[in-house]
Amino acid sequence: MIFAYDAAMIPTYICGIVALYAVIRVLTEKKTLKKLVLLNVMNFAITGLIVLSIPDIMALFAGIAYFVGSTLESNAIASTFAGGKANE
Amino acid sequence: MRLPAHLQEAKQMNEFYILILGLIAILGAISVYFKKSPFDKLIGLAVMMGGVIPLIVLKGYLDVAVLVAIIMPLTTIFILQATGRNTDES
Repeated sequence: MIFAYDAAMIPTYICGIVALYAVIRVLTEKKTLKKLVLLNVMNFAITGLIVLSIPDIMALFAGIAYFVGSTLESNAIASTFAGGKANE
Repeated sequence: MRLPAHLQEAKQMNEFYILILGLIAILGAISVYFKKSPFDKLIGLAVMMGGVIPLIVLKGYLDVAVLVAIIMPLTTIFILQATGRNTDES
């Protein structure tokens, strides 16, 4: 029973569907900068899934660490791709 | 290993998590394998790690998940130092 109706599971379903939609849009996008925007959408949804997963206080710290790290990562990829000395 | 009670009852309804996160991890790995550009490969690697880290959290190893989430962008930054943007200068 995967899609069992429970009112407490509706935010989890929304986060999962948004994450899967963002991944499919990342895989079928041509331009790299639009891919990075949709990668940020996926990071938000995955952070929501981490925080909503288990009721423990360390899950919040795991969500914080993942959110900070993944935002730093995608910004590093974007600034290496679009920035640099060649545009000056 | 025996989990605590509040983690034990949260394990009952995680088929949805396993379906979504396994699909995301497999799609990220396929994207790493088939894309040509190194930036697309790095984006696929980020998608794959976004699928793997919630599975570690779901298993209960939260300190391992914090460490992996901290170390993952460092590896990406090191790979970006190696295969950077191919300018025409050098």
